Amino acid sequence: MMYFDEALRVLLANKLRSLLTITGLIIGVGAVIAIQVLGASMAGAVNGALGALADNSFVIFPNSRQRDASKASIRLSDLAAIQQSVPGILSARPLGISSQLVRAGHVLARFSVSPEGAPPFSNLPIVYGRNLNADDVAGATNVCVLSNDAYLKLFPGGGDPTGQSLYAGSHRYVVIGVLAAPKRGFLNLQFSGAITIPWTTFVHDYVVGQNIFGAGFLVADASRIPQTEIAVQNKLRDLHGGKDLQYQTADKAKFTQGVGGIFNALTLIVGLIGAVSLLVAGIGIMNIMLVSVAERTREIGVRKAIGARGGQILWQFFIEALLLCSTGCAIGLAIGLGLGAFINDVFIIKLTGTVVPIPWLQATGIAIAFAVVVTLAFGTYPAYRASSLDPIEALRYE
Amino acid sequence: MNNQNAIELRDIKKTYKNGALEVPVLHGINASVAHGEYVAIMGPSGSGKSTLMNLIGCLDRATSGTYILDGVDVSSLNDNELAEIRLKKLGFVFQGFNLLARTDAIKNVALPLFYAGIPQRKRNDAALAVLEQVGLADRAKHKPNELSGGQQQRVAIARALINDPAVLLADEPTGNLDTKTSDDILALFNKLYENGRTIIMVTHDEEVARHAKRIIRLRDGLIVSDGPSGA
Repeated sequence: MMYFDEALRVLLANKLRSLLTITGLIIGVGAVIAIQVLGASMAGAVNGALGALADNSFVIFPNSRQRDASKASIRLSDLAAIQQSVPGILSARPLGISSQLVRAGHVLARFSVSPEGAPPFSNLPIVYGRNLNADDVAGATNVCVLSNDAYLKLFPGGGDPTGQSLYAGSHRYVVIGVLAAPKRGFLNLQFSGAITIPWTTFVHDYVVGQNIFGAGFLVADASRIPQTEIAVQNKLRDLHGGKDLQYQTADKAKFTQGVGGIFNALTLIVGLIGAVSLLVAGIGIMNIMLVSVAERTREIGVRKAIGARGGQILWQFFIEALLLCSTGCAIGLAIGLGLGAFINDVFIIKLTGTVVPIPWLQATGIAIAFAVVVTLAFGTYPAYRASSLDPIEALRYE
Repeated sequence: MNNQNAIELRDIKKTYKNGALEVPVLHGINASVAHGEYVAIMGPSGSGKSTLMNLIGCLDRATSGTYILDGVDVSSLNDNELAEIRLKKLGFVFQGFNLLARTDAIKNVALPLFYAGIPQRKRNDAALAVLEQVGLADRAKHKPNELSGGQQQRVAIARALINDPAVLLADEPTGNLDTKTSDDILALFNKLYENGRTIIMVTHDEEVARHAKRIIRLRDGLIVSDGPSGA
């Protein structure tokens, strides 16, 4: 391709100028792609964190800043009442956490103990043994399931720990299962304690009196969570005899929505940065292309005199602009991906353990789009100007 | 060669418009140049010889009149059609050589063929052949700044010849050259003439014009004399 050869020769003849011309594009594309990569890994990290939470679960707890806070407190008896009157609820359990000094063999460590129902709220896969079942809950048995963290600390020797006992404070539990390691995400979200026991056992061993911190529910149909949340709130107001009592709910969809909003805002900002850098870089490129056309007026005259058509001159300068823009975008892409991958590696992966793939394809797509848009928007006019020069005037140009 | 003339100009008039002001430059030129002629166009500055050269070179259109180049009426062609005519039927040699810098001789010579859409291998073969004709085959890979003025002009002549034009147009081809080199270039033109090439040269230098076989003299936009040079 002679057009490419010539364009390349012209650009290489003015190396510094070419480089300075595309600096704006390099920075703009680099920034946009770096942020794009970061956004993708953050979103991936959050999704990884939320992955451990069952889609069809929600939690409810009283709003602590209300006048009748004590009146609003959820009681153990509420759970059964709600399960009976609100349709679509599969199971209910209290929320809670209790920090205990845990001993297994010679190992001693502090861990949180929390209640779990059957079916479980956490959907982490099982590595050893089994998860809690309905019999464990019904019978309030002294069994526990270990998180991967707890398993690694308490059983440093490895191997299948099921059947072995551990002591949390004064209580003895038999290990029946070990959960897989969660993808925790950069928010370091934790949805359950290190050691989970049947919620009935938890109530027996750690809950004093009738009041509980909050309640969690599993529903049959995840899409009906909003309605179910309202029904449960109303039922609690009924049970506690106060129309103004306030309860807060949380579920995966709500959380995802909130996080999604943050990323939408981020995307918008990135888009704005992109647009501004595109404009600034484009103006710089257009300026240099116009200078190039002016400098080579005579050459354009000669080309026309020997028979080049306007379209051929236009194409030549257009290719030159395209080469400038695509070089700038390619360098920007490399820098952006490098920077994004570096930050991803240092902050996201090291801090959260979540490995999110770099969006190569998307980033390359963005860079190509930038190159095409800038070339079309800012390379066309100089090329047109070159093509429409009068050959006689151009030949006379000194 | 056919029996048509290479160039036929019938009552060519050219008027430049400068705002409301109309500046007539050519007042009605009638001339014809047969195939194989070697003609010099002379005249003092302001005589209209450059304007006539631009018209003959299809870089410009006459205000009125008919111009037939190698059997084609080019009087009313549009810009792209004129470019096509320049590409196929004309070869230009300029005073200032006008080679592409940083581009070797063979690529400079092959440039018209590129615009004609000829593939690279054929372009190079053809370019090498014309470089041979002008005696510069051994300088094919040299860039303009590695060539002397005379050599650069030879490359430019090779470029003008590569499309085997009906007419070779030379605008003060020796204007930038010393006497010795000028003689070499004029000898080259003579050789091309002897091989049957039609040449039209614009010059203000009597010495140079005398090398042509026929001289057309212009004054104030009209032909004042047209006859053999005596060479």
